[in-house]
Formats: sequence, C-alpha cells, structure tokens
Amino acid sequence: MIDQQIATRQVLWNITHDWVMYVLFAVSLAIAGYGIYLRLSIWRRGVAVDRFDRPAERIKLLLRHALLQGRTVRERYAAIFHSFIFTGFIILFIATTVVMLDHRFGIPIMRGAFYLYFQSFVVDVFGAMVLVGVGIATVRRAVIRPKKLVYTDEALRILALIFLMALTGFLIEGWRIAATNDPWGAWSPFGYLVARLSESLMSVETMTTAHLWTWWLHSALVFGFIAWAPYTKLIHILTGPLNIYTARLDPSGVILKTLDFENQDAPLGVKTLANFTWKDLADFDACTECGRCTQVCPANTVGKSLSPRDIILDLRDLIRAGGSDPMLAFEQPVVNAVPATAAEALWECTTCGACMEACPVFIEQMPKILDLRRFQVMEESDFPETMQEAITSLESRGHPFRGTQSTRVDWAEGLNVSIMADARDADVLFWVGCGGALIERNQKVVRATARLLEKAGVRFAILGREEKCTGDPARRIGNEFLYDMMVRENVDLLNGYGVKQIVTSCPHCFNTFLNEYPQFGGRFEVWHHSEFLSKLIEDGRLALSEKLDASVTFHDPCYLGRHNGRFDAPRQIVRIASRSSVEMAQTRENGFCCGGGGGMSFVDEPKDKRVNQERARQALETGADVVAVGCPFCMTMLEDGINARKGDRDVRVMDVAEILWQTMEVESKK
Amino acid sequence: MDILIISFSNSDYDRAAQGVAGAGRNLATVLGGRLRAVVIGPGNAAMNSRLAAVADEVIVADQAELAEYQPEIFLQALTSICRDAAPAAVLFGNDTYSQELAPRLAHRLSGSAAGDGIELAVDNGAIRVRRSVYGGKAVATIELKRSPAVLWLRARAFEPAPEKDSATAAITRPAVDLSMRAPTQIIERKSEGAGEARLEDARVIISGGRGLGGPEPFADLQDVAGLIGAQLAASRAACDSGWCPPSWQVGQTGKKVAPGLYIAVAIRGASQHMAGISDARVIAAINIDADAPIFKHCRFGIVEDYKNVIPLLKEKLAALQR
Amino acid sequence: MNIIVCLKQILDPEVPARDFRIDAEKKEAVRGTANLVTNIFCENALETALQLREKTGGRITALVFAPESGEDALRKALAMKADEAVLVINDGHPHPDPLAVAHVLAAAISKIGVFDLVMVGRESGDWGVGQTGGLLAEELGVPCISFVDNLENGTDGLIVTRQTDNGWEKARSTTPLVVTITNNEYNVPRIPKTRDIMMSARQPITRLTLDEIGVDAASIRAGGNYYEIVDISIPVKEVTCEFVTGDSLDERVDQFAKRIIEVTQAL
Repeated sequence: MIDQQIATRQVLWNITHDWVMYVLFAVSLAIAGYGIYLRLSIWRRGVAVDRFDRPAERIKLLLRHALLQGRTVRERYAAIFHSFIFTGFIILFIATTVVMLDHRFGIPIMRGAFYLYFQSFVVDVFGAMVLVGVGIATVRRAVIRPKKLVYTDEALRILALIFLMALTGFLIEGWRIAATNDPWGAWSPFGYLVARLSESLMSVETMTTAHLWTWWLHSALVFGFIAWAPYTKLIHILTGPLNIYTARLDPSGVILKTLDFENQDAPLGVKTLANFTWKDLADFDACTECGRCTQVCPANTVGKSLSPRDIILDLRDLIRAGGSDPMLAFEQPVVNAVPATAAEALWECTTCGACMEACPVFIEQMPKILDLRRFQVMEESDFPETMQEAITSLESRGHPFRGTQSTRVDWAEGLNVSIMADARDADVLFWVGCGGALIERNQKVVRATARLLEKAGVRFAILGREEKCTGDPARRIGNEFLYDMMVRENVDLLNGYGVKQIVTSCPHCFNTFLNEYPQFGGRFEVWHHSEFLSKLIEDGRLALSEKLDASVTFHDPCYLGRHNGRFDAPRQIVRIASRSSVEMAQTRENGFCCGGGGGMSFVDEPKDKRVNQERARQALETGADVVAVGCPFCMTMLEDGINARKGDRDVRVMDVAEILWQTMEVESKK
Repeated sequence: MDILIISFSNSDYDRAAQGVAGAGRNLATVLGGRLRAVVIGPGNAAMNSRLAAVADEVIVADQAELAEYQPEIFLQALTSICRDAAPAAVLFGNDTYSQELAPRLAHRLSGSAAGDGIELAVDNGAIRVRRSVYGGKAVATIELKRSPAVLWLRARAFEPAPEKDSATAAITRPAVDLSMRAPTQIIERKSEGAGEARLEDARVIISGGRGLGGPEPFADLQDVAGLIGAQLAASRAACDSGWCPPSWQVGQTGKKVAPGLYIAVAIRGASQHMAGISDARVIAAINIDADAPIFKHCRFGIVEDYKNVIPLLKEKLAALQR
Repeated sequence: MNIIVCLKQILDPEVPARDFRIDAEKKEAVRGTANLVTNIFCENALETALQLREKTGGRITALVFAPESGEDALRKALAMKADEAVLVINDGHPHPDPLAVAHVLAAAISKIGVFDLVMVGRESGDWGVGQTGGLLAEELGVPCISFVDNLENGTDGLIVTRQTDNGWEKARSTTPLVVTITNNEYNVPRIPKTRDIMMSARQPITRLTLDEIGVDAASIRAGGNYYEIVDISIPVKEVTCEFVTGDSLDERVDQFAKRIIEVTQAL
C-alpha cells in the first residue's frame, strides 16, 4: 500500500505547448468579455435605481437563492437536473482552480487525502452528475416537452456542448489513468471505468495519441463555452446571481415606483425601453427561459394571451436583434413592439404577482406590465372602457363602482358604529373600503367585522362618508397621477385625525396602507381584519366554543398572502371556527388569483376565459362546503365562479369574519 | 284666457296627443278659456276631425311650406298663430319636435317655457308645473313668471280629454306668412323600427336571467315585450351562457339603462346587475325565490316560477291592451 | 371653424338616492360630500366638437357660467384639448333660470366675438330643463337644431345629423348655428391624457364678470323673471316590494299584468 500522503497526479502529462491553452483562454475571455460588455452597455441605457443598498440582506438572498437554488428546486424535475449541472459546474470549477494553483502557482494543495477524496472522487462523481443532468434535461426537452418551455436550437446546442465537455473530460482522464498506470486511478471511479474499458480496446500508444487530441478538443470546447455563454441564455450563470443580489428586498407590495409629476419631460410610465430602469433591462438578460412565470400566470392559465415569459424574452430578443446598435429597439414604443406586449395582453394582468414569486432569478415581470399600463393610461389614454369608467368614478366619487346604489354607511344601519369625526378618541380606525361598503354582498362581511370588534370591546370608528378609495385600483390600472392625488388627500385626512391603527377587511387597502402610504408620509399600524380578529381571539377578547359545521377551504388573497406573506391568521380563524379545513392544490405563496386584482374586476372577461371560474374549480375540487375569503373582490369573483360551477352542490363563499360571527351567533342562540 | 294645444299632423291623435288635450281641457276649465287645438303639418283630415270633437276650435296650418317638418318654418308658423291667439298657455307633447320648438316659441312670445311636466296647476292665476328633477330623485314645482306658459308634457301622465260624439268645433285655416328663407333645411329623414331603438333609450325593458335555464324562454319574453312595447335585455349570466346576444347585457359591465319600467324575469339581482338599472324608474320582478335581492329594489313583484307566470301574463296583457 | 361649447357644472348625478337630500330653504339639492362634475351631455358636446375640429380644423372655446368652482370644468375641457377657456363668474346667483343663463351665455359669446357654431348639451343631469340651447339661439338670433349627434362639413354648409323619436334626420345649415347635443356611441367623452391634465393646470382661463359682458346682475336674480322653483321635495319611494296577492295564480298574474299596464301607460 502506497502512502496516501503522497497521492497526486501528473498535470498536463503528455501535453506540450500548453501556452497555447492560455492564449485560447485569453481569447475566449475576451470574446466573453465583449459579450458581457454588450449587455452592460444596454443596461446602462436604463434609468438609475439603487439596488445595492442593504448588502447584508442581499448576500443572504444570494446564498439562499443562487447558491442554494431556493426557488429553482421548487419544481422537482428541474431541481434534479439543474442542481446536477449547477453543482457539477461549481465543483469542476473548483477542481480546475485547484489544478491551476498547484501546477501554475506551485501551491501544493493537490495532494494526499484532499487529492483523493475531493480532487479525484468527488470531482469525478460530480462530473458524472453533469452528464446525468444533461440526460434528464434532454429527456424533458425531447420527450416530455412541457408547454412552458421555449424550444430553441440554442437550448439543444447548450446541452450538447455541456455533454461533450463532460464526456471528453472523462475520456482524457481515463486514458491518462490507463496510459500512466495511475496508482490512484480507482479514486476516480468513472475515469477508472473509462481506463479499464479502453485498455481492452486500445493500445497505450493509441490512448496517448487519443488523449492528446481529445485534450485539445476538450479545451476547445471549454473555451468555446466560455466565449459563447454570454451570447446565450447561459449568461444567466452571471446575470442570475446578479439579479438575485439586486432583487427587491421589500414585500412585492412595495415594488411599484412612484412618479415625479413635477419633472414633466420624461414620459409617464414606460414608452421606450430607455424608460425602463437598468434593473428592468438586466432582467431581460437574466431570464433562463424556464417558463415558470407563464405557467403560474392566472390569465395565461385560462387561455388568455398574457405571457410574462414572452414579454421578457420578446423584449430581450428585440434588443439583441439590434446587435451592438440597439437604437432601433430603444426608439420605438414598447407597447405592441413585440407580440407579447400587445396592448390587449397588458389588460389581462391581475397584478397577482405569481410570476415574480415563481421566477428563480427574481425577474420583476409584473411591474413592467404596470409601467406599460401607465404609459397607455396616462400618455395615450388608451385602455378598456370599463376601466375608464372605474377611473372616472374614482375621480368624481372616490370609489370605482359606477352606478352603485349604496352609500358608504348603509352597511352599518342598525349598528352603533361611531364616526371618526365624532369619536376622535377611538383607538382603531376601521377602514371599510369601497368593496366592503358599496357591494351589497360584502356589506354583510363588514357588518360581521364591526360586530366582532364591538363584541370584543374594541374602541373603533369609521370615517363614514369621508372615506374614499385608497387609490389602489387607480394605481393598478395605471393611473399613477390619480393614485398620487388620492393618497395625498387620504394621508392628510388620516393624519388630521391622528390615526394610529387601521383595521381593514380589504387586502388591497391593507397593502396600500402598509407598503405604499409610508412613502407619502402616512405611517400607521395596519391590520388585515383576519389578523386583528385572530389576535382578539388569542388575547381572549373573543371567545368561541361553537364551530361552523362545515369543511372550509381558504383562498389566499394575493395582496394579503403572496404580496405580504400573511398566510396564517385567516387559517387560524378557519381552523378554530370550523369543523375541518382543507387546502386547495395551489395555496399560500402559490395561491391562484381570484381574477379580480389589477382592475380586472371592472373588466368583463370572455366567458370561456375566466380566472374566477378556474379558481372556483380548484376550490370545488377540495370538496369543501365553504370557500373562505378575506377580500371583497375575491368574494364577488369567487361567488360568481362558484355559482357558475357548483351545479347541485351546496357550496357557499364566506369571509372569515362571517364564519367567526356565525359561530358567535350560534352560540348566543343557545 | 285660451289654451292652445299643439299637434303635429304627421302623427295620429294618439295617447300622447290625448294626454295633452286632457291637460289643456283642465287648464282651460280652470282659467275659464277655450281649448284651441293647433294642427301643424301636412293635411290630416282624420286628426282635424278627432280634435274637433275634443277642442273648442281647431286651427289648421297645412300650407305647402309646412308639408314636412322644418324647424325654422314651423317655429315661424307657430309664433304667428300664437301671437294672434294670445293664449294663457301653449301645450306640447314631449316628442323631439315639441322639445325643440317650445323654448324658442316661448322666447319669441316673451313667455316662459317648462318641460316634462307631469302635473299642472293654477295658483293665483299663475301656471305651475310639476316635473321630476335630479334624475328622478326629486320633484319640483315650477311657477311660470311670464305669459304665455309654453309647456311640454309627459303626455301619458295626463288623462285623455273627454271626446264628444261628433266633431263640432270650427276648423279655421289662418293665413300665415311663411315666405322666409330658412337657414336650416332638413334634407333627409329615416324612421327606424321601434324595436331597433337603443336599449339605453328603451322605455320598457324585459330582462331575463340565469334562472331561465336556456335560450328558449327568451322567445316567450319577446312575446310579452311585443304586447307592451318593451325591449329585451338580459343579465350577464344569461349572456354568458350564450342564450342571447352580448349586446343585451345590462349591468356593471354591460349597458346602463334607464327605462320607465324594468321587468326582471328570473334574475336574482346581484349588485353588479343592479348597478346597470339604478336609473330605472320602476322595477318589477318575477322570481321563484322571495329572498332574491331583486325584490329589495322592486316596486312590485310576483313570487312564482316564471314558467307558470309567462303564459298567463301573455294572455292577461293581451286582454288588457284590447 | 370657430366653435363655442357651453358647459354646465352640476352636482354628481350618481349620488345614491339614499344620500340625496334637499335644502328646502334654497330649493336645491344639498351638496354633502358629493362632487361637482361636468354635465354628461355637455361633455358629449365637447367630444363632438373635438371630433369636428379634427375634420375641419378651427378653434374650440369652452364657456362656463358658474361660480369659481367652474374652473374645474374648464380645466377638464382644456385637458380634453379645447383651445380656450372662458369663465363667466356667477357671483352669488344660485340656480339662475334658463333665460338668465341663455342671456348671460349670449352676452359672453358676443364678447368672445366671431363664432360659427355654438354647442350645448341637450339637457342637464340636475334640473333637466332642456331649454338652454333653444333660448340661446333666440338670444343670439341664429337657427337651432336639437338632439344632434353628428356634424360634418358639407359642400354648402354644415350637415347635421340629429336623433328623432324613431330614427334620425339630416339637416343642412348655414352658420352661425346653435346645436344641442345628445349622446350616441361615437361621442362618448374621451378620457384626457394625464399629460394634458398636467398641462391644463397651467393654461390661462379668461375670467369675465357680468359687468364686463354687459349683463345687469339684477336681471338674473334667483327665482327669476322667467320661472321660479316654488317647491322641491323627494318623492316618497316605496322601499318595500308589493307582492301581488290573490287566491289563485291566475288572479296574481292578473294583478301583476294590471300593474304593468298601469306603469307603462303613465310613461
């Protein structure tokens, strides 16, 4: 037995003129560098935005989502092959670095146990994993062919190249082991396998010659890979981590930029690519074409034309088609520039944010759609008529529901609810919201909420007729100007009353208050009613012994759940107030939109392409008797969808507050 | 003081004209004057004699220049007739021509005009009109300060005037100088079937909803509609189900209508639907469920399966219309 | 073509009935928290004017007779791309009668000067008087066509299309002319572009007092010389549905049919 301490291997072995390799390396780096420079020079055309603040948080994000592939691995199939290739590349990169350090810089690290365990065994296994990974990926592309992928020759060439790189690596390793009779050869099991197989087929001379040529071929492939990568989707190896590092750190509810209406020269919203931020432009180059954003997009799911993936890719290709002179792409309006940005598609987005949540490299698709909407609304005044009506109503009535016959206070008839103007000592402002006050069905919800607050002894008041929309629909439709105005008015009103705590049963109001009002000087402690009620139960201020005799499934409102990460409070209420609870297939951060966000509740969807019906289908699939919601828009959308699809089944849609109140009523009747 | 009622001879002595005459007769009685009917337009002997059985005098303006409606010439003719007649009031129906001419006539006669009257009264010799204002949310009483009072009326709100058995009133044809060169000329006119009117303008609407269960019942609703001059509409659920064309859809995302009567058949009345009919004056409903929200907005309703109601309703309406 | 579009600012007609109150003293609706908006038919008129200008060229002057609040209506008109805005300030004459309004508008129009076309809405969403156009034509001494929904330039004069009870009529007219505008599917008022709203805030508005247009303020006192609102009230609305009664279905349907006939005959 030879002492493992001295274990190592010959570097280069029968390769001479290895300086050629360095020349090739330099050339490939230069080509790659130029490719990266091209991308950078594109990004530099974008508008400035600071995405390098809070480095500690960014590094954490980077570790979790780049190194540990936090989101990539959510899809099991992709998780397998991507992590095989990804980790394989990392290990092989380290191994190559080790060789360089040892051989070129004379740092003797490629020795002994490290050589045997890592440099030989581990590296060999990971190299094999790359091959397996490529195989799995190829099967997906060639056999399974999921709809969400983009089928390009480039993708196949990339797989072939990686395969050849790994294969030639094993061949030269095996031939070297066999020809040099490497005593440590068996530590590299796959190389060793090649060696043993080759020995029976080839002479030492043949192997040596084959090694020589294959070694150069391998080098050529590797350098070709390096040079070519920045011109393909492989650039995500660099832009992916960069994009993750520069991702938004706040909840996605905070993501929309405010506009400066004093500076009137720049277009309002995004007219040309130059009006995007550099980060938006970098997003295009970060895309891995995985298609998850489009797969989870509710509009796309029900057969509409909106495809976040294609917005990103079409615009990327538009820029790249210009080569080093992208002026053409940067001069024309983005809307309708490519099929994916057709105006009609923009008006299908519910702003649910599922696309952003799904993206492994943190591309921000939805805000781009909003940027384009802003331009269409504010500069072109070209948007769906029913949305125009909502906007007009917001302007003159402070609510988006044209033709409503309700007043702001109808729902409170018969209740003893204080009005803020008369009850300035109230601890809590109950912000009813337009959807709660003016849509008949939801009046029952806010009524239940108010009675629960009353029962728990909360000193609360409402604004009554003084209440106006928070501005959310205006912003999501794209009228930032109106939004800006409404927010400022509301902030003045709320600060005038010295409001500290706000409870609201509308997640859209909740998100706007929580994430957006602070930017306008409105800082409040904001509660969604489910959270507030849940806390009242926890504090013992609301006690319930009865349960609703029903199986309940909770539908996550996008602006409570995905955009703000609040999943548990409503579930807690459902759990303690009902017989049993059951989850839908798409739930929590993967929740599927009701179809009502982003101003879409003001749009009449084609009857065979309705998001609410798809969500209703998912809810009915659980077999639950009650679909619980926590949002006035979800209420109307889902009730509509459930009624259309339930057939003879007895399924109701209830707000969590109603469920809670009903158990109280049952109790008091006893 | 006499009362003039204005009729256009291109129409008949229809319910509207009868209402105007009824209002005029009452006013004439109160003011102690004669009721004089003006028939303007191409000769219409039938109308003249009908009015001769109603009014105390019939003034016919059927000169060649008045063969077809031309606003400036008709206005000139009416001005001339009214000047000569010096009435206390001039009453019109609420058709397009009447609404077009009344204010201008008032101005030329140095009188006052008011429109859309649903009630007339005399207070201390002054004529007062009741009319709805603020889109029907309020009713105002207006006192006209100058004479004559030129009024156009929601004619169906007034009882027809009593009609004598024979046409006893004198028919006169005053000479009117119409040798003017009209600055405006109507050069083309087209009448479209009443059924083609826009839903938004319909006076009566019958609307079907999800509860109909299929497209066939709309044919029955069409029969009912025919009986009372109504137009068909539908809820979104019915349109979505493909039972009727999308253009029929009424509601938040459909048409906003403002009929005098809206009959909702098998429509539950979700707020989105109600948003489209908030301007309807009277809502009536046929629904199997007494708790359906639609009834909260109804003036009257019937709780019954529409399938049992519609055939009977057809019979009854046909009988009542006779 | 010089077009003057007269706009009226009214209480938002969409105030829900339950929020609607009357001030018995002033004999008008209580404003409450509701907004003032431009009367819809006036906006249809402005839209029609804008479309006509696109075809014929020319200038559009928006004219409002109102208190200072009328500026909002004019700003919106400017945002919709009217060329000029004139506010005749109504200083303390609540709801002047229609003749007074027509008189003021006519005086203002004479002050503005040359015009080919005056466009007004067919009626307003508050009082629904429907006389301003006709009276204004008489005050100006020009012809008038009502319920117009389209205008074109013809070979000799304007070609004006208007709606009638059961169809439409086309008229040829010389100018100057007053038209009252009704709505159709093509003159839905455009939503102004935000940029234009921002620009409109900086555009000048000509302010005229009654003195400056030569109108005697006393002549337009409220409760005017033309007519006077003597009473206004909110009709008691049946809030509860009356379910038809009867021993048999036949009887109930009969009741139902009678109610239908009753209502339709009163229309």
